Amino acid sequence: MTLALMALALLTAADVAAAPGSEDGDLALIPELPNVPGPSPPPASPTSRFPQARLYLEDAFTLAARREPLVPLPPPLPYRWQNRLSIDAQVEGLPRPSLKLVLSDRFDVVAQEDVALWSHSTPRNELREAYAAWQPRPRLYFEAGRINVRNGVALGFNPIDVFRPRTLVGQASLDPSVLSRNRLGTLMVRGQAIGDRGAITLAWAPGLFQPSPLTRDAIGVDPRLDATNATNRLFASVSANLSDVSGQAVAYHEPGRSKAGLALTRPLGQSVIAYAEVALGHEASLLARALDFGQQTKTLPAGAAPPIPGDLSPAWRTDAAAGASWTVARTLTVNLEYHFHQGALTATDWDRWFDTGRAEPALGPQLWYVRAYAADQLEPASQHNAFVRLAWPDIGRDELELDCFAFVNLRDGSALTQVTAIYQVSDRWTFTLAASINAGSAQSERGSLPQVASVIGALVLYL
Amino acid sequence: MFIPRARGLVAGAVIAGLAQGGTRAVAAPPSARTIVEAADRARNPQQSFRTTLTLVTYRGGQARDRVVLAVHAKIEDPLPVTPSSPPRQFKNLVRYVDPPRDAGKLVLLDATRMWFYDPASKTSVRISAQQRLVGQASDGDVLTVNLAHDYTPTVLGEETIKDADHQDRRTWHLNLVAATPEAVYAHLDYWVEQDTFRAIKAKFHSDSGRLLKIAYYRKFAEVLGATRPTETVIIDAVDASLVTTVDASDYRAQELPDAWFQRDYLPRFEEE
Repeated sequence: MTLALMALALLTAADVAAAPGSEDGDLALIPELPNVPGPSPPPASPTSRFPQARLYLEDAFTLAARREPLVPLPPPLPYRWQNRLSIDAQVEGLPRPSLKLVLSDRFDVVAQEDVALWSHSTPRNELREAYAAWQPRPRLYFEAGRINVRNGVALGFNPIDVFRPRTLVGQASLDPSVLSRNRLGTLMVRGQAIGDRGAITLAWAPGLFQPSPLTRDAIGVDPRLDATNATNRLFASVSANLSDVSGQAVAYHEPGRSKAGLALTRPLGQSVIAYAEVALGHEASLLARALDFGQQTKTLPAGAAPPIPGDLSPAWRTDAAAGASWTVARTLTVNLEYHFHQGALTATDWDRWFDTGRAEPALGPQLWYVRAYAADQLEPASQHNAFVRLAWPDIGRDELELDCFAFVNLRDGSALTQVTAIYQVSDRWTFTLAASINAGSAQSERGSLPQVASVIGALVLYL
Repeated sequence: MFIPRARGLVAGAVIAGLAQGGTRAVAAPPSARTIVEAADRARNPQQSFRTTLTLVTYRGGQARDRVVLAVHAKIEDPLPVTPSSPPRQFKNLVRYVDPPRDAGKLVLLDATRMWFYDPASKTSVRISAQQRLVGQASDGDVLTVNLAHDYTPTVLGEETIKDADHQDRRTWHLNLVAATPEAVYAHLDYWVEQDTFRAIKAKFHSDSGRLLKIAYYRKFAEVLGATRPTETVIIDAVDASLVTTVDASDYRAQELPDAWFQRDYLPRFEEE
């Protein structure tokens, strides 16, 4: 009896043992993987990472097509071809454990239409950042020098990015995400404390120079401090997280202009990020500020009347950018934004701009000056705009990325559109091809620009 | 046909016990949550740490791309660990080390607050959970996560499967269903070895039930006090010719301040 029970137990045990799994077709998908060298050994200590540098060489060739605008553009006309050879460097050094030195610079050699092969405008240097940072205790920083301070959460327009005016330099793309990579910093002293739940930032940028006139391109090795530090500016910011919402509140003041702003982001489900920025300030309109700046820099005659009638008195004005990013189909990310810039040209202003330009060609330079001023300030020239951007990494091939964007004037339907293909030739080489077009009727914001289209090819070697 | 181990054990034990003329206490099978929590402890050090990940992407068996990341993982504030303690989750700060074009870029992931930072533009962009799935071995795959925190598990049965080295492994087959907004995938099929609680294989599914990825865990080694997988092989279920290996090395226990996981800290990140 005992033996029978034991046999039964053994048989049962054998029976209850898990049956072998089916031959898993998934395993067949694992290829024979060759040996690949492992990662480089980590540094012996954190300080051995310093100094550290990011260097790359870039050659960007631009071909552009022009058209005759409805309102004649004063010379010089935009170039039809340009080649820019650049060396770009970002260097950080740690001479003492609590002291860091930062340098970010780009040196260009430029050849372009209507410019002698070698002239004062052939070599150009953009000193983006040069500053010292002192950290007396963890997460408390004091900095002085030229610092690129960028604020905001939207892509196409940042109402709270108060240090953006007059910082634009030559680019290999019109994509706003690329523009922010290469812009001038501002001389300032800044303090920041970062806590477990947020951060506080204070900054003062002194006015040290008389403002320089508008220029289309940076010329020579001038650091353009008179562009970024022509007025005293105070800035304060507090950022914090509240559950899913990340927020930043800012306050800003310069003579004749004060602003308070707020930026918020939060996820909506698994694939959408919603964001919004708003800034409220007491300031003059774009038209008034352009006129005043032109007179201040002696580009426009003193006491000149505005080229078109408009509201020239300071008032409370609002700027806003609201949008969302949406990731679809595993790889494609779409951003859609609405931009409102209350101080910009209204529909009536634009009608007057074109009417005056046709009726009084002598006022052409002043009319175009208003738009050039808006571009120099990196602010929209129109009140209502939309922005859409598609980013598609790994399109078709692992090494190929496709980005597209469009700025659309919601009043006249004109648009700046660009398509960019980025090909990773290797770990160190990248080739980019960008094609852009200013589309719209002759009496529209984009359609009235003299440059109708451009193609930029850029080859980058990361050193 | 798979017979639940519990029933087989009970039957065999009772019969054996009767044969010996006495009774014996029967070990209760672990719950699904216990299995997943144990597997989490086996996969990840349950303390703040740093590791280097090397991701190599293969297409058709040929190595095509290589990315090296430094991952800093901070576990939530330590709580008394009791059977009723909720599972803790990690915050992650990922720094791109190689290739040179990406060096210095950062990804911060703290629950639903996820940011990407580009040092070239000094711009931080908030990214969605779905964006974590961009790229073959995406951030969601390289992050340190405790599955017990984000998923509700159930045991589907016991199976003997082959691991990535074609060795038979006796496993529990679990179904994990997303239980929090931080869960990257809608549900997972998860195979955990019975004796060691080592994760052997996982299948990741989207909301629609579509199979997205298959992962095998292998190259188990002693790391920070336990035997853990140091390589994950990720097969793209949509494009089966695409395989990514994620090799983990240079594990170090490291205290990480909470301030590291703030968006404002990203431009100032330095490895300490």
